[in-house]
Amino acid sequence: MQDLTRISLVDSPEEALTPREHRLDFIANILNRGAIINGILAIIVILAAALGAFGVLGDTFTTLQNVSLFRSTVAPDTASLMIILTMLLNTSLLLVLMTGVLAREGWAFIGIWLLVIGNVAALVTQGFTPGIITILIGLWAGIIAGRDVRAFRMNPVMLKELRGRMRGVRAFAVLTIYLGLMSGVTVLLFLIFTALNRSEGSAAAGEIGRVLFMGIVGIELLLIIFIAPAFTAGAITGERERQTYDLLRTTLLASPPFVIGKLESALSYTLLLLLAAIPLQSIAFLFGGVTEVELLLAFIILTVTAIALGTVGIYFSAIAPRTLSASVRAYTVALVVTFGIPLVLSFILNIFTGALFGTGTGITRSPVLEGLLVYLGLFLVSINPIATALASQQLLIDQQVTGFWTTTLSSNGDTIPMVSPWISFTIIYLAVSTVLIVLAIRRMRKVEA
Amino acid sequence: MDEGLIIQTADLKKSFGKFDAVKEITVEVPAGSIYGFVGPNGAGKTTTMRMLTTLTRPTKGQAWVNGYSVTEEPRAVRRSIGYMPDEFGVYDDMRVWEYLDFFAACYDIPEGERKRLINDLLELVDLSHRRDDMVDKLSRGMKQRLSLARTLAHDPAVLILDEPASGLDPRARVEIRELLVTLKDMGKTIFFSSHILADVAEICTHIGIIEAGEMVAQGSMDEMQSQMMPHREIVITVRNPEAAEKVKTLLQDVNGVLDIKDLEPQAGRSRIQINFTGDDEGVEAISQKLSEGGIAVLGFTEETKDLEAMFMRVTKGIVT
Ligand SMILES: Nc1ncnc2c1ncn2[C@@H]1O[C@H](COP(=O)(O)OP(=O)(O)OP(=O)(O)O)[C@@H](O)[C@H]1O
Ligand SMILES: [Mg+2]
Repeated sequence: MQDLTRISLVDSPEEALTPREHRLDFIANILNRGAIINGILAIIVILAAALGAFGVLGDTFTTLQNVSLFRSTVAPDTASLMIILTMLLNTSLLLVLMTGVLAREGWAFIGIWLLVIGNVAALVTQGFTPGIITILIGLWAGIIAGRDVRAFRMNPVMLKELRGRMRGVRAFAVLTIYLGLMSGVTVLLFLIFTALNRSEGSAAAGEIGRVLFMGIVGIELLLIIFIAPAFTAGAITGERERQTYDLLRTTLLASPPFVIGKLESALSYTLLLLLAAIPLQSIAFLFGGVTEVELLLAFIILTVTAIALGTVGIYFSAIAPRTLSASVRAYTVALVVTFGIPLVLSFILNIFTGALFGTGTGITRSPVLEGLLVYLGLFLVSINPIATALASQQLLIDQQVTGFWTTTLSSNGDTIPMVSPWISFTIIYLAVSTVLIVLAIRRMRKVEA
Repeated sequence: MDEGLIIQTADLKKSFGKFDAVKEITVEVPAGSIYGFVGPNGAGKTTTMRMLTTLTRPTKGQAWVNGYSVTEEPRAVRRSIGYMPDEFGVYDDMRVWEYLDFFAACYDIPEGERKRLINDLLELVDLSHRRDDMVDKLSRGMKQRLSLARTLAHDPAVLILDEPASGLDPRARVEIRELLVTLKDMGKTIFFSSHILADVAEICTHIGIIEAGEMVAQGSMDEMQSQMMPHREIVITVRNPEAAEKVKTLLQDVNGVLDIKDLEPQAGRSRIQINFTGDDEGVEAISQKLSEGGIAVLGFTEETKDLEAMFMRVTKGIVT
């Protein structure tokens, strides 16, 4: 695992580093260790919880809660799930921060301290004792980083890309067209909806709001699927094709800032498009039926999707010979992940929705098997942004749940703890993104043989 | 490693599959020199430079730049060099100053210092008036000068320039050449490649000639001249073949004369070519001997071998 996630700041780690490079490398190493410890602990807790669930080990849930989440008032099994997911979230975030530190990003420095604060809060309010590991790791990394804050700087690659992208009328023309289209679609949706409902005589304002909101988020998701990989698929191949790659390779710019800079510039433009549409989404508020929480969840899911698809583009850009083939591969993955998975696995989704609406799955008598299937369903939903968005929204509307909840197994009437898919989705996507970035950086490092 | 050499290679070799692009060559560039690396197309100049700039790993052998090994300390090497590839890499959506600003940032030069640095660099390469123009609108000569400015951003000790003058008109060529001399005066070592020896000859202190992956000759300009032209050629023109015979017998045992041969008569006059290894006094001795022998000499010329001739002689045209 260390081998998969660990990268050094420079291409030749055996080479003597400057004190600053040495410090950054050291911090990244600390964060990496922290991620690995959290990951291993999470696996141990999962095993313990599973053994408890199968009745092999007695009541491990209560033990886990007493040890690791002693202040919380939720049921022991839900507490166990919370412990596992918080550990996994810590793992993902530590990996993200590791790449951020290697890229010398200011947000990584701030992020380290936010992670510490978050874990302290979890420790104080919920008694999340495993957070102590992350707190110590974060303090250690944060204090060392604090000795040389100047090491964190504006990413030159991002600056260069944004200068190019924002120049002239093109960027603003795109923005205008995009907003125009979005408004058009909104109006269209509104007209269709009122027309349909007038015939039935009752137009619930709340429902109009919801339809508008979902329409806009749907278009944004489509936009991200088409824009995020396109912006990054040319990141490395494009430099090669313009013959600027060699120029960059002979400068002191390390691979991590290069890759992260490319990703950031692509994301900041995507984010700009997302933010520009927020006023439109707020129109939905006028009709009611949509809450700020939904808006926030939608924004998180869209952003995480953009990050993940952006890294997919970067990864293929690092391994493909040309921009064209990198784009083709990145789009293939993006389309398979967003549309292919739900299509192929829709029958498993049915199991999950069965659990979701409390109707049970009814396909098996064995509670263990049924429980496993429900979790498999949750996992499959969590690797797909559309399913995640729909399921999270459904949960929010039906049960006012944004975090943890329980579902009842039809085979024996027991309840098992669940989590709103947007959380597991975020953890999985961030972890995969970091691994892809690390792989892309490794690939870039290979000196021409 | 030799102290005075800023670039040094030992049996540096690069193969692409079975084909040896560079065959165990030794390059020795003294600090502070302008070193012209000359060879025909496909000789292996670019490949050698890519190994020196850490872009390609040598198949065999080792190279040091500024005392650092290109395979073991690539970052230290990159800190020491400014590299200009044979292709000018253009970012089509950048202004001239942004181009320099970006590369300065890549060399970790703090933002506060960059503005002044950019102005100084543009001044040096005489592009201050194009500061805010888009890079892709510049002429080729200007791009080449901008490229040169870029290589100087981090004040490297060595500049490695791949055909800096190719594709330029005569005027732009002269400008680049003058710039290189200015840079040498600033204390930089310049290692640059070219096809054209004449281009190199005017400004170089050292040259190396590479052909088909092998170093044919290398050294300071003076050394090269004498190494490659160990003898002078003197052509004597006389009125008729009899006089020519007399000249031959007279000069046969003069010190330093290697061989004597007849050339094609020109306008009815006989010509004799003498291969001679002596110095100027030896040449005086020859002419004195002729006048003592009572031979009326119509012409007495010493062939000056120019660099191009020397180039043609050492490179046998084995272009791959
Ligand atoms: N990546 C590569 N793969 C295979 N062969 C290569 C590669 N790069 C160069 N070569 C071959 O190596 C030989 C030397 O090429 P190189 O580019 O070093 O020559 P050069 O002296 O720079 O020539 P030119 O004056 O045309 O620039 C050529 O025959 C070329 O075809
Ligand atoms: Mg070449």
